[in-house]
Order: sequence, then C-alpha cells, then structure tokens
Amino acid sequence: MKKNQLAVQARHLSVRFGTFTAVDDISFAVRPGEIFGFLGANGAGKTTTIRVLCGLLIPSAGQAWVAGLDCQTQAADVKTKVGYMSQRFTLYSDLTVAENLAFTAALRKLDTRTLQRRTRELFDFIHFDYPQNSMVSDLPGGIKQQLALAAALLHDPPIIFLDEPTAGVAPAVRARFWSLIRQLARAGKTIFVTTHYLDEAENCRRIALMRDGQIIALDSPRRLKASAFPEPVLEIEPQPGTSREWLRKLKLDPRVARIQPHGRRYHVLVLNGPAWQGIARRLPKTLSLRRIQPSLEDVFIRLVEAEVSA
Amino acid sequence: MNLTLRGFMKKEFLQTLRDPRMSFFVFGAPLLQLLVFGYAISTEVRNIRLAAQYAPGDQLARRIEARALSSGWFVPVTHQGEDPFALVQSGRADVALVAPAGGLSRAARRGDARLQVLVDATNVIQARAVERYLGAIVQGVIQETFPGQAPPSPLGLEIRTLYNPAQVTTFHMVPGVMLMLLSLLTILLPSMSLVREKETGTFETLVSAPVKNWEILLGKTLPFMILGLVLVHLIFLAAVLIFGLPMRGAYWKFLLAAVMFIISTISVGTMISTISRGQQQAMMGSFFFLFPAIMLSGMMFPLENMPQALVWAAYLNPLKYMLTLLRNILLKGGDDWVFWTNLGALAILALAAATFSFKRFRQTLN
Repeated sequence: MKKNQLAVQARHLSVRFGTFTAVDDISFAVRPGEIFGFLGANGAGKTTTIRVLCGLLIPSAGQAWVAGLDCQTQAADVKTKVGYMSQRFTLYSDLTVAENLAFTAALRKLDTRTLQRRTRELFDFIHFDYPQNSMVSDLPGGIKQQLALAAALLHDPPIIFLDEPTAGVAPAVRARFWSLIRQLARAGKTIFVTTHYLDEAENCRRIALMRDGQIIALDSPRRLKASAFPEPVLEIEPQPGTSREWLRKLKLDPRVARIQPHGRRYHVLVLNGPAWQGIARRLPKTLSLRRIQPSLEDVFIRLVEAEVSA
Repeated sequence: MNLTLRGFMKKEFLQTLRDPRMSFFVFGAPLLQLLVFGYAISTEVRNIRLAAQYAPGDQLARRIEARALSSGWFVPVTHQGEDPFALVQSGRADVALVAPAGGLSRAARRGDARLQVLVDATNVIQARAVERYLGAIVQGVIQETFPGQAPPSPLGLEIRTLYNPAQVTTFHMVPGVMLMLLSLLTILLPSMSLVREKETGTFETLVSAPVKNWEILLGKTLPFMILGLVLVHLIFLAAVLIFGLPMRGAYWKFLLAAVMFIISTISVGTMISTISRGQQQAMMGSFFFLFPAIMLSGMMFPLENMPQALVWAAYLNPLKYMLTLLRNILLKGGDDWVFWTNLGALAILALAAATFSFKRFRQTLN
C-alpha cells in the first residue's frame, strides 16, 4: 500500500435487496492504521457494508475501494489484502484447530512453511495453549472467537474487517479481544470493526453511527460527544430508598432539557452552565451529583432522537 | 496439484470419513445392501400356496396336484372342501384348482376337460408365474397319461438363452443394485455438501478467500468422485467374488463408464445444491431426482412399455445409459457401438449439468 493512500473508501454506496434498502448512499474514508468503528443497531446496514468492502456483495450503486483496489472489479485482489471475520462462526466445528488453519492456508495458497510460521506467531499473539488437534467444537466460546480471528489474520492482511467480533462473549473475553485489536492497530494494521456495544466504541479512533442504512454521524468519540452535547451533562445518584420527590420537581424545571435513567443513576441535561448552579442548590443533600462526559450511548440516543424529530 | 484443491480434498475426506458411522454408510452399507439385494431379490416365485379340490377317485387331478407340489414352486394348503373363492379371498391360498363335478379323468376321456384355476392376481408377477408353471405341469401330466395321443407338433422352438444361460436373476440385478448405490452416494452427498457450508456459515470462509469459482466447485466435488470410484470397485469386486458375476468386457471400458457416470451424477448433485436453500431441500431434491431416475432406468421395468413422454424423459436419465453400459460390458463383453453411444450420452448430460451449476454458482452472499 502506498503512503497516504486511504485504506478504505466508499462513495455513494447503496445496496438494495428487492425493495429493501440495506445501505443508503453512504460515503466515508478510513485512513491506514486507524481503528474505525461502525456502530448501529441490528439491521442498520453494518454487515452489508462490510460484505461489499470484502468483495462478497455487489453494491446496487456507488463505488468502494479497499487498499486502492475496486471492490467490485478487483474483488479477488481485495480478498488478498483483507482479513474478514464474520459475525457468524465460520470455522469447521468437525475439524481440529490445525486442520482448520491448514484449510484456510490452502484456500489462500500459503505453503506449509508460511502456515507453520504464522500459526506459531498467531498462537503466541492470542495466547492459544490448547492442543492443536483439539476439535473446534470442543473449545470454549471465547477461544473459538479468538481462533476465528487468528484464521482471518493467517495471510497477514494489512486491513482487517471484524464484524461484531465480541457479540455474545463474556465481558472479560470482550476486554481481552479489544486488547488484541489495539495491539494489531499499534502494529500498523487498519481495523474496521462493527459493534453494537457502545462502550467498546470508545476504543476507536473514529466512529460512524449508522441508522437505517445511513451514516448519521462520523467523528472521533470525543468530538462526537462535544458536538452532540454542547451543554453540561450531570449524573445524579440517589441513595437507595430516598424519596423521588426531587425527580418530579426536576422534570418540571424549565432549565432541564432531558432526564435519562441509566440504571440507578440519572443523566440530566441542562440548558447551560449557570442554570445548573440554580438547580443544584434546590436538590436534596442526599443526592450525589457530578458533571460527566456524556457516554456514546447518550450521543447515540440524542442523534437518533434528532433524526426522528427531523 | 493446485494447493487449494489439495486442501479441499483433505478437508472433505476428513469431514466425511472421520466419523466411523459415516464411513460405514459410505462403504459398509452399500456392500451389505448388495448382499441382501443380490441374494434375496429374484423374479422367481416360490412357495405358492395351492389348494386343489377334486373327488377322491379323480386320478388325473391327483396327479396334477402331486406334480405341482413336487415341482418345488407350490406348497399345499390344507382345507375341508370350503368354497375355493373363499380360500383365495381370505388369503389362505394363492391359487385354487377346482376339478369339474364329474371328475377330471372322466371329462378328459370325453375330450372336453376344463380344470378351473383361481389365481390371486393382486400380485401380478406371481399370478403370471403361476399361470406359466401350471400350464407346463398340466402339459407334462397329459403327455404322460395319454402317450401318443397328442399329434406331434410340426414346428418346435429351439431356444438358446444368451449371456445369462442359466437366467440367474442375480446377474440381472447386480448391475442395477450397483447403479442405485452409486447414484445415492454421488448425488446425495454432493448435493448436501455445498448447502451445508451455506447453512453453517463456513461458506463465508470459502468466498472471503481469493479462490476461483471452479476451484470451489471442483474442490467440493472431486473428493466425492474418488469416493464413488472406490465404491464402484468395492461393489464390483464383491459382485464378482460373491455372486460370480462374469466380467466379459474390457476393464478400461468399465472404468471409463464409471468415471463418466460419476461425473454426470455429481454434476446433478451439485446442480441440486446450487438451487437448494438448505440441506433439507437438497435432500428432498436428490430423492425427487433419484426415484424417477431409478424407475426410468430400465432396471425394474422395461422402458419400451412406457408412454412416449416417459421414454423421452428417460433420455435425460444418466442411470439409463449407465445400466445399458454395465449390462453390456459385464454380461455381453462390451459392444463398441453401444459403449461409445451411451458413453457419449453420459458425457453430454454431465456437461449440461456441470455448465448449469457453474453458471448458477455465485461467490456473493445475498
């Protein structure tokens, strides 16, 4: 890949299945070495976009390039440059670990020596210490997921597409998986990752929020928060068992824009800084309150609400 | 060999044969079925239950009954002179012989003897056999009882049965059984194998790699071709060693026919795979093809007797050509014209099915 060349570029990309529009005229670019997050609910069009970029789906309109190659006309070349980890489990459960990797290597025409070297490197990377002749069906879920990542990385691709890599795995495994992703990025790989866990998206350099096939926002997490919430956001944590009278009063206060429950806590959005001072004085002392950075979830909710009302 | 194809070979063999039960279904079960079919299935009808009713003094009728029982085809039914219709109706007898009221011997001397035969024709094959056997038995008894009375026939047939002089049913059946077992393996397994990859999601592994369409299609079918060739030889050896099936033609003709047939059935299987949406559909599709293909192969029923539309349909049936080839090579020594025309027909069918699958196959996920 040439220097300064974009890793991924999409221009007015649309994908329709019959009358259903899965991806609706999206454009974006991903720089080399970036962790680029694709966020959105199920059915927002994330997987469809990834499949176009990996050369697995032909777009209805628009164009996409990966590593400078056209995803439609140079699909075979694109496939040599990308590693793709599907949201479905795509290893063979009735083959052993070694047999799966050998078959993946055969598909990509890697010779035995390359296969052995890469297997060693990748097992080291994911700390895989099960016997290589274990059947894949016998491995625990999180380990299978890391093995699928290893298989996607076998040919050492510069660009890696991960489609919901952490769906349905335990929190500890999710954290471990993200540390692998960050290591890959540090090693210079471009990572394109989709998720619907908004907390994970904080790991991304930039994120695109998708809704109904469209990108409704695209920026770094920090800038997204700043632009979505110019006003202060406060978190209020009531003591268990205290009266909810303050909440009723707060809801009636004209200086309060919105109250969003987050578990036991509440995120309160006020119109401006000075207004907050007035409100805080009237709240009971038993409430613990602090000014916070809005979470991406707040951002997402706000952006989607703005979309709906517009 | 291409690295990708070699990878496919290894993977498919591992997936198909690692489970000992599956290995048994691929190799053991067909041999077992060959034994069962080869020994048990025969168009000869035996153990026909015969009820004969005649007056105690009727010598001629007694002789006919005795001859029938000693022929080995019939077994006696004990009865107390009930209505012979009731005997057949209730299923106690397959056939009832009823002598005329005055006795068969006396009627025969008068020259107008009529022996009633009530045959249960709910099983047509058995009814025809009964008719044939009884005709021969009565003829024999008459000639013995009234020697010199029947005029010598001015014309006699001298029949020579060629290729299967003893009319051993097994020789007729074994090529058919070989054909059925081979078709089952080479249509059903390939039809399910590609759809299974789609169902389990591993199809994404295949298509996200830079592989060519022909590499996937050949990689998914070549292993079954080899399995099919191994199976055909296993069945062939068993048929020769156990049933004494003659091998009168050249081995290379047999091999070439087997290869061409397997290519055609695997192409049909792959075609079914490319139009099915799941393993269940693929399985239904395979049987939907297999049953009529077996019926229209000429293995059980002669094609010549079928309506013209079905005869045309049979031209699209690889099983029909292979059966002709097998019988021709194994029993008749492999006539060149028959060999090449049928082989050519198989090749055309194989090419058509393979082209269809290739055109229909997509590496995209929709």
